[in-house]
This record gives sequence, C-alpha cells and structure tokens, in this order.
Amino acid sequence: MAYDGKDKVLEEVTAKAYEFGFTTDIESDKAPPGLSEEIIRFISDKKNEPEWLLKWRLEAFEVWKKMEEPEWPHLNYNKPDYQGISYYAAPKQKKELGSLDEVDPELLRTMEKLGISIEEQKRLSGVAVDFVMDSVSVATSFKAKLGELGIIFCSLGEAVQEHPELVKKYLGSIVPTKDNFFAALNSAVFTDGSFCYIPKGVRCPMELSTYFRINESGTGQFERTLLVADKGSYVSYLEGCTAPQRDENQLHAAVVELIALDEAEIKYSTVQNWYPGDAEGKGGVYNFVTKRGICHERSKISWTQVETGSAVTWKYPSCILKGDHSIGEFYSVAVTNNAQQADTGTKMIHLGRNTRSTIISKGISSGRSQNSYRGLVQIMPSAENARNFSQCDSLLMTDTSGAHTFPYIEVKNPSAKVEHEATTSKIGEDQIFYCLQRGIDAEQAISLIVNGYAKDVLNQLPMEFAVEARKLLAVSLEGSVG
Amino acid sequence: MSTALNKQPQLGPQRLPMHAASQTKGLEMERRLQALFPDCVNEAVDALLTTLPVPHRRLERWKYAAVNGFWAECARSQTQTLVATALDPLPVPGLDAYRLVFVNGRFDAASSSLPVAEGVTCMPLSDAEANGREKRILTDMERTDWFAALNGKYATDGVFLSIKDGVVLDRPLVIHQRQEGVGNPTFLRHSIHLGKHAEASVVVWSSSSDDASGFVNTLTTGAVGEGATLRLDKVQDEPGTVHHLAMESIDQAASSHFRIQTATIQGLWVRNDLAIALNGAGADAVLNGAFLPNKSEMVDNHTTVDHRMPHCTSSESYKGILYDKSKGVFNGKVFVRPDAQQTNAYQQNANILASREAVMNAKPELEIYADDVKCSHGCTIGQFDDDALFYAQSRGIGEAEAKSMLVHAFIADILDGFAVEEVALEVRHRLAEKHNWNRWDDPSDN
Repeated sequence: MAYDGKDKVLEEVTAKAYEFGFTTDIESDKAPPGLSEEIIRFISDKKNEPEWLLKWRLEAFEVWKKMEEPEWPHLNYNKPDYQGISYYAAPKQKKELGSLDEVDPELLRTMEKLGISIEEQKRLSGVAVDFVMDSVSVATSFKAKLGELGIIFCSLGEAVQEHPELVKKYLGSIVPTKDNFFAALNSAVFTDGSFCYIPKGVRCPMELSTYFRINESGTGQFERTLLVADKGSYVSYLEGCTAPQRDENQLHAAVVELIALDEAEIKYSTVQNWYPGDAEGKGGVYNFVTKRGICHERSKISWTQVETGSAVTWKYPSCILKGDHSIGEFYSVAVTNNAQQADTGTKMIHLGRNTRSTIISKGISSGRSQNSYRGLVQIMPSAENARNFSQCDSLLMTDTSGAHTFPYIEVKNPSAKVEHEATTSKIGEDQIFYCLQRGIDAEQAISLIVNGYAKDVLNQLPMEFAVEARKLLAVSLEGSVG
Repeated sequence: MSTALNKQPQLGPQRLPMHAASQTKGLEMERRLQALFPDCVNEAVDALLTTLPVPHRRLERWKYAAVNGFWAECARSQTQTLVATALDPLPVPGLDAYRLVFVNGRFDAASSSLPVAEGVTCMPLSDAEANGREKRILTDMERTDWFAALNGKYATDGVFLSIKDGVVLDRPLVIHQRQEGVGNPTFLRHSIHLGKHAEASVVVWSSSSDDASGFVNTLTTGAVGEGATLRLDKVQDEPGTVHHLAMESIDQAASSHFRIQTATIQGLWVRNDLAIALNGAGADAVLNGAFLPNKSEMVDNHTTVDHRMPHCTSSESYKGILYDKSKGVFNGKVFVRPDAQQTNAYQQNANILASREAVMNAKPELEIYADDVKCSHGCTIGQFDDDALFYAQSRGIGEAEAKSMLVHAFIADILDGFAVEEVALEVRHRLAEKHNWNRWDDPSDN
C-alpha cells in the first residue's frame, strides 16, 4: 500500500463501539419464551384482534411447522432456537397518547440519541414518524394533518381495529403465509407494524417514516408493513433502523407488502443499521426480511436500500409487475465489514406488457465479511416488450472478504430485452494515491471513493436519508482498506 | 459463527437434498445398467451412487434441465448392439487427422487410424487400463454428481492419449462418437495427459443416425502439464432422440493453456458440464460455445472455472439462438479462491430468442474470495435488432436472409475460434443445412 499507518487506523475503527448501542430501561410486558398455539392466542388476545386474524395466524403457524429453514443462501450461521425467543414484548405503560408530553421522557431521550427527536422532526423536517419500539407503536405524529387528506398512517394493530376491511383485503395478498419460512413465522407471530393507505389521486405531502428498533434482550422483532397506494396516488416511505448492542443473536423477521394500484407510485427507502456484532462475529442481528410489492397498470414501485448493519442479512425486495406499462426499480448499497454476511438482491417478475425494471446493486465487502447479490429477473410469456437492465458491482476492501453474484435470468418471451452485467474489483490504489498526494488522508479518500461508487444509489434516497446514509457508509468502512 | 467463516470456501453444493421419486427412478436405471453391463464393477462408485442425490428439479445444478428422458431411454434399452453401417469414419471431409471411432460406446478398430509418433501414446482406454498405463481415478465431478458417478462405473472404453514433454502432436486427433439403434446406453471416458510444453488439438465429434435413440454419457479428463497447450473442439450433431451428457474435467498446471470450443448443432437433450481447475500460476483457460437449438431441443451449458492460484486468466463466451419451442440453459461459475490474487476472469453469455415459445434460463455466477482481482460477467437475452432488420430490408434484403446475416455475425467469433479450421467450416455447413440458410456455406461470403 502506498501509505502507512493503515493498521493503526484499522484498529481504531474496529475498536470503535457501536454508536447506537445503548439500551432504554423501560419495563416491558413480555411473553415467556417459546412458540406455540397458546403464545399466538396470547399475542392475538393482547392486541384485541378479531377472530379472522387469529385464524389467519394459526393457519400460518401450521404451515410454518411443516417448513424448513432455507439453506440455499450463501450464509453460514447458527440457526436461531425458535423456542428460545420471546415473541411478545410491549412497553408496559401503553395508553392513549394525545400529545408528546404524555410520552415517557426516557423514550424521548432514546429518540433524541437516535437523532429522530419527534419535536425536531415535527418542527423542522416535515416528516411524520411512526416510531415502533419493541413491536408496539408508541407515538404517531402528523396523523391529524395526514387525516385531512384521507391518508391513513397508523400502526397495523390500530388499523386492524379501525380499518379491518382494508387490512383483511390486502394483508397477505402479496406475501402469502406459505411464501417462505420466515414469512410464515412472521404471519404467525407478528406483533405490530405500520399500515398506510393513500386514497385515490392523493399525493402524500411529506415523507412517511418508521423507525424500527429491537430493544428488549432475547426478543425477536416481527413487524409487518402494509402499504396501499390507491389509483393515481404517490407516497414516499422511509424505513430506518438502529438496534442496541446485545451479545445474543437477535432475530428480525419482517414482512413488507406494497400495493401500487393503477398509476400509483411508491418509493420505499430503507436504511438498515441493525447491530452487526463485534469484530469477532459475536452477537448481532439476524435480519430475515421478505419485502414484495405488486404493480398494477402504469404504476411504479421503487426500492432503495442502504444495508450496513446486521450480522446476517437475508433480504430480497421484489416487484411483481402485473399491470401493463408498470415499472419496478431496485437500488441497493450493501456494506459488510468484520464477520458480517449478507445475501441480498431482488426479484423482478414481469407479467404485464411493456413492463420495465432496473436493478442497480453495489456491494462493498471488508474485513472477513461475505457479501452476495442474488437476484431473479423473470420474463413470463405474457410480458410483451419487457425490458430489464441489471448492474451488480462489487468492491473488495480486504483479501479475506468475499463478493459473490448469483443472478437468475429466466426469459420466456422473445420480445424481451434483458441485460445483466457485473464486475468485481479492488478499491483503486491509484485513486487513493491521488487523494493522498493532495493531502486527503486515507480514511477520507476511502469515504470519498465509496460514496462516489455508491452515488447512483444514494442519489435515489430522499434528502434527509441520503445524509444519514453517507454518514453510515463512512462509519462502516473507515480505514478498512487492505 | 466466526469459526464457520474461517473455513476455506467450498466449491460446489453444500447440501444435496434427495427426492424420493427420483431416487427410485435412478435406482431402476442403475439396476438395468447392471444387467446390461454385468462386468462393470466399482465399489467406490457404488458407495457414491447410494449417497448422491439423483438429479431432480430442486437440486440447484439441475434446476432447469429435466432428466426424465433418461429414464425412458434407459427403460427401452436392450443389449448393446453394434450395427454395421456405411458410416463415414471421418465426420469432417478432407481433414487430415488421426481418428478413433466409437459406435455405441464400442471401439471400432477398422475405422480408426491411431497416431504413431515418438513421445505419443494413444490407444483405447480399455487397452490402457488392461496394461496398467491408466488407473481409474474418480474426479470431483463423479464425487458430487450422480450422472457423472455412473460414468466412473460403466465407462468401458474411450481414448487414452498421453504426450511426452515437449512433444507436439502433428495432426489433430478426432474422436468420433457415433450413436445408432434403439435405446443404446453409451458410456465413454477419455483420458488426456499432456507433459510439459506438449501440444495437442483434439476434436470430439458426436453424431448419430437419424432414427437413433438412447443416451450418451461422456467424461473427458485432461491433465495439462506446465506450459502445455490443449485445444478441444467439441461438436454435437445428433438427430433422433439421443440424450447427450458431456462432461469435461480439466486440471491445468502452471502457465498451461486450455481452450475448448463447443458447437451444439442438434440434439434433443444436450448438456455440457465443464469443470476447469487452474492449479498453477499463470494458467489460462478459454471456454467458448454456440448453441442453436430448434423444435423442442434443450441445450444446457454448465461451466465452472476454479481459480486456485494467482496470476491466472480465464475467458468465457457462450452464445445461443433459440428457435421454435427450444430451451436453453446457461450456468457459468467463476470461483476465485483466497490465494488466487491477480486473477483476471471474464464471462459473457448472449442469447437471442427467435421464437415466441423459446425459453432461456441463465445464471452467470461470480464467487470471489480474493481482493486483487478483475472479474466481470455480462449476460443478455434479447431478439433480433429491429433497426438492423429494417436497415437490411430497406436495401432489398429479405427478412429471412437478413436474419441469417445477423445470426452469422452473432456467432462468428465463436465459430472462428475452433482449433481446426475444417471443423469450423463443417459446423457452419451443418448449421446452414439444419436451419435452411443458403448464404451460409461460404464464410467469406459476407
């Protein structure tokens, strides 16, 4: 390497404690560990759910029991003990909250540390935050304002009570209970999540945002997001997460369902920064997420994700392009460091005529991590004139990390145009040298290069998120060049 | 988890799930083969056959290639019949070459012409094994794949070619594999050893009579010595309902060159499975292939390039044009181990779907564990360029002719890469015949 002192930098960074690794001490109402019909009934009862939902959960549980945990991903981890997890934890003092003053000050301080102080958000950024803390939503802001436009934005639990017809119609319609092992588990035990409905022709005036956070030790987070954009509407939805430091591996099995009806547009952005475990690969969150959206005629779904956290990531945000002229997009930056492992990518299922999809995936591997892109582009016989472009680039920082690409391309219509390209290379020594010459230190140089490399994706993020994402990338990779 | 991460990366499937129904089918086939070839005994393979899963759709490597045809073909196999035919022993007219001819897996001495030269040993594999020159060593392929394992047990013959250090084989060696008759099961095993700086061009040509059926299972093992060059031209031209499975397992020493060109002209079910291990620094591998299936043909190209040592290069290009109800599969894997720094690997797969019912499934994979590498792959699936067709038509060139021009241009680089020029010419000729292209006979006519 052209510069010295890299080992020092590396040590400093790896020794850097997880920035968001603090724990909030609030008493929580927690179910005993284990998964059984009783626990599901307990959760359903706690949440005061209608009979049909309980039935749906139990069916999912039956399906799950017969399923096997998938072993095809390029991941190596000790399977969680599903009977050793507590499936329900709710902050005890839950009551109707009319204003922020009623919120526990401890909680408010947590939010401040996360940089999402609700007051701040309310006054300055115009972002409505539905803050999910250990499964139960404790504060929803801007609700009244959104309500004027007919937008429903609330916790899923609330939606089940107040808008059962919508929930019943769409829940599980995109990710059915038997879709996969983790989706089935989520369907059986999901505790809360977000629900959003944008009425016909409404353009949501602000970015909707939810922060998920695993808090209680030994609890899994099983949230579920359901987002329906009615005809001609538009919404930009942000999802970000940080989790406190824990030694045990914590399980996160979420499901996100997006429905874009005719001519609707959904922009779904994620910054994922769960606790990745320490430098030895001890601890960290297992992130097994099923995300899928359906596009009806002339609609568009755009997934943007910045993945920097989690010990193990298993996540494939997908689009079913059912309607003619619909568009699916997937932009992803996945960073793995130390002992992290990620197997992430997307599925684009083209069913409608003139459907288009774009996939831009940027992987960055450092430390001893393994970073895989796994994607499927499927052009069905009905998808006349479908178009796909995929680009998957990998950047390797160390000689002990790995970067892998597993794209599946299945074309059953001759009018389709499908292109895929992938490259893997090392971070440019000449680029670093160039920066060093001009007095930019190695750390800054890497941050500069990586941000440039990931620019195509970062540019897709809403402004507030892009700033956070840039910071995250820099923190995740400082000094990690080998 | 940290210990799991420190493990050396594994090439090949970690887990091989079995499928009960397929397992039964496989067992039936094996019993039948045992009855047909009572002399074939191999305990090591028997152990593998019971533990390996019989291919089925849930097995990643067999996801897109259904193997049902093998069960049917095997069920109607009688006993090995050597049909006397008016076979032209040399499939390529006018080629000055050595040749070994096999009909239904049996060596046809009368039609063959073996090389006799200083430093070159060439004979049927059965002879080489009988006189102790060759010992059967199971390849990694046979250890991980059920169909490959069958070859380890049932291959009774093939070609043994050994070339001493520094010797260059003066003429190409043509291995002509002919399939005839009803339901004949054919197993062939070719073993090629090249000493340091030796050089050889080998043509493996598979043909069959128009009414032939049965299946062909071929495994070619190659040990390419330091600085040696092995060129392999592989042509598959089998009408009838022959199911063809061709496997190549090549080990390359430092600074060696290996080049394989595959042309699949016809075949109801054809699968090529290549495993190339670059075992020494500076080794270079080139893999190219073209496939133009029509009707309900299926062509599957699986390739694995295992970069084990630094400074190796590999380049791969597969091109397919799919007509009628044909199906194409491409799976290319570039595997770069932690020690293989300064690897340069390139992989390209381009496909044209020329009909409504054609299907193409592609999976170009990269698995990289070293950082100072340049690896890239590209994959495209599309159709004939409308603008190009319009351009030609507006200048008085009919659509059919314009398309054949585009096809010509599309696969020209693959066909130009054959080691033996006459083979390239013959491939063009036969492709033109199959697809009724009249402009195709003369490559200079463009």
